[in-house]
Amino acid sequence: MYEFLGCKVKDAMTVSPITATPDTPLGTLEQLFEAHDFNGIPVLDRQGRLVGLVTKFDLLKAFILTTDSPAPRYTDIINLPASSVMTTNPETVSPDLPLSRLLQQLVEMRTKSFPVVENDRLVGIISREDVLKALHRTTISP
Amino acid sequence: MTTLLYNHPVCAEHDMGHGHPECPDRLKAILAALKHPEFAHLQWREAPEATLEQLTRVHPARYVERILAAVPRHGLHALDGDTALSPRSGEAALRAAGAACAAVDAIMAGEANNAFCAVRPPGHHAEPSRAMGFCLFNNVAIGAAHARAAHGLERAAVIDFDVHHGNGTQAAFETQPAYMYISSHQSPLYPGTGRRSERGVGNIVNVPMPPYSGSEDLREAWTTFMEPALRGFQPNFIFISAGFDAHRLDPLAELNFTEEDYAWLTREILDLAAEFCAGRVVSTLEGGYNLQALAASTAVHVRALMDAA
Repeated sequence: MYEFLGCKVKDAMTVSPITATPDTPLGTLEQLFEAHDFNGIPVLDRQGRLVGLVTKFDLLKAFILTTDSPAPRYTDIINLPASSVMTTNPETVSPDLPLSRLLQQLVEMRTKSFPVVENDRLVGIISREDVLKALHRTTISP
Repeated sequence: MTTLLYNHPVCAEHDMGHGHPECPDRLKAILAALKHPEFAHLQWREAPEATLEQLTRVHPARYVERILAAVPRHGLHALDGDTALSPRSGEAALRAAGAACAAVDAIMAGEANNAFCAVRPPGHHAEPSRAMGFCLFNNVAIGAAHARAAHGLERAAVIDFDVHHGNGTQAAFETQPAYMYISSHQSPLYPGTGRRSERGVGNIVNVPMPPYSGSEDLREAWTTFMEPALRGFQPNFIFISAGFDAHRLDPLAELNFTEEDYAWLTREILDLAAEFCAGRVVSTLEGGYNLQALAASTAVHVRALMDAA
């Protein structure tokens, strides 16, 4: 009955997630968010190292009213690179982290997803939805 | 007496490109509202082009020449990321500035008490040597300078209730004690100026308002800062930078004013105008980007002008 406590991040994460580069335009990220049901896109450099995470919130922030312009210049903004809005050095988790601890972190940090990193390589991404699915799988009898 | 309405068809031909919020439809919406029978007593007049003499009281001659020379024969010429010229922009800008001067002349000649200039491009972001924020020439500052230079009036006040701070008007007047500039505006917001500490030579009164400020905050701003400043200045002529983008439906800001707030504020300004300067008021259009809210707010503003005339 405590099967969930035996789960690790690697049992519930999405492997080989879609990624972006620091140069990926915000317009492309917008299309990815529209086409896929995820909250954050890991950003990898040319060597494949994780350098950032762009969330839907980061993308929205790019379009707010600022003191620079009376109206957001939408066409200029969608051509900005991912590096201009991404969260650099995002919090990451290990694939071997117990899922119960990951759940704790998601709640305490109000985060929607974490990149999963092993030996400096991105191996997956884990989200609120993934944890909910694992809870469903391990606590509700078929 | 009479309220004058200055306009010219070319002001609706200045076009900064598809989807730009400062669009010809703004003026069309306002004019459609002012053609309602309720406004039958408005006296419509054609806005003349401002003269070089009128313009250069605020802008250096080489700036005026540079703007007019940049007007394209076809297409658009961008002055910055927000502001562009189309083939009719030069004439529209000259008539937008000329309207304020002609309105001053008519009022000083006793032909009317007050006037509304339904013109574009707007003006209050235009600094003496810099076009920005959809503005080319500073219409209200040019009108105020005209009142002093051509009619010998001592003190001219500008009240600016556009949601954005009128950095251009402040820049034009901040060293000249014969002018007072009073602005309520959202902060933070474009263009980032308008802090309370920006006081010029004691003649600049900035009342920044945080996002989501509404009717009660406006009344407090007026009673606490704006009215006492205007009263202390004892203007001989009052100008209004009438932007309606602090309306709760406007897409470019986050204040929550209503039509009734604009009617109320206009009446308050007119009461002081009656007390200090025989009701002499020229109001000129600035911003306002929700067409319905803009038309309705302008209508109550002009209604208040007519009721006082």
